[in-house]
Amino acid sequence: MADPKQQVMDQVRQQAALSNARLLVEKLNEHCFERCVPKPGSSLSSSESTCYTYCMEKYMQAWNTVSKQYIGHVQRGAGGAGAGAGAFGGL
Amino acid sequence: MDNNINLSPETASNLQKLSDKDKQDLNQFIMAESQKAQIQQNVHNLTDMCFKKCVTSKISAGTLDRSEQPCVQNCVDRYMDANMTVIRHLEQMRTL
Repeated sequence: MADPKQQVMDQVRQQAALSNARLLVEKLNEHCFERCVPKPGSSLSSSESTCYTYCMEKYMQAWNTVSKQYIGHVQRGAGGAGAGAGAFGGL
Repeated sequence: MDNNINLSPETASNLQKLSDKDKQDLNQFIMAESQKAQIQQNVHNLTDMCFKKCVTSKISAGTLDRSEQPCVQNCVDRYMDANMTVIRHLEQMRTL
């Protein structure tokens, strides 16, 4: 029989990963649609697709940069933006 | 949050039977996970904001350019400064 503790932990981890991914997809599309498809045509043009690829790469790089910078602040105990400071084991 | 945990009745009743040590472990795990989720949420919000402010020119490459990268870093730093200013101000109002 499965260990109920392990089961709950797996489920929590899985749901956290899922909601994180969902949010990233939402933000990527929100920003990149705005930037890359100013006038929607009958299909996504090749230049729009290229722009999308670049835009997504840029956004994810920005995400990683923000993450590093923000976690630096949190670890130095600055707290802020609604997150309580304190012990934090890294992402 | 829309994170509903759906436990089977079996799991739910098994959870009741956990040892105190396991319950404590689980509690700690959930606390750590929710803190992590909160931080991730903040990173999403900050990225949203800073991307808007810092990536303003035509998108023609897949990496942040020489001005965008430091802009994003500054954006986070100044946001934290601003946040601190708000907290200090409120703190001052409280003691008046």
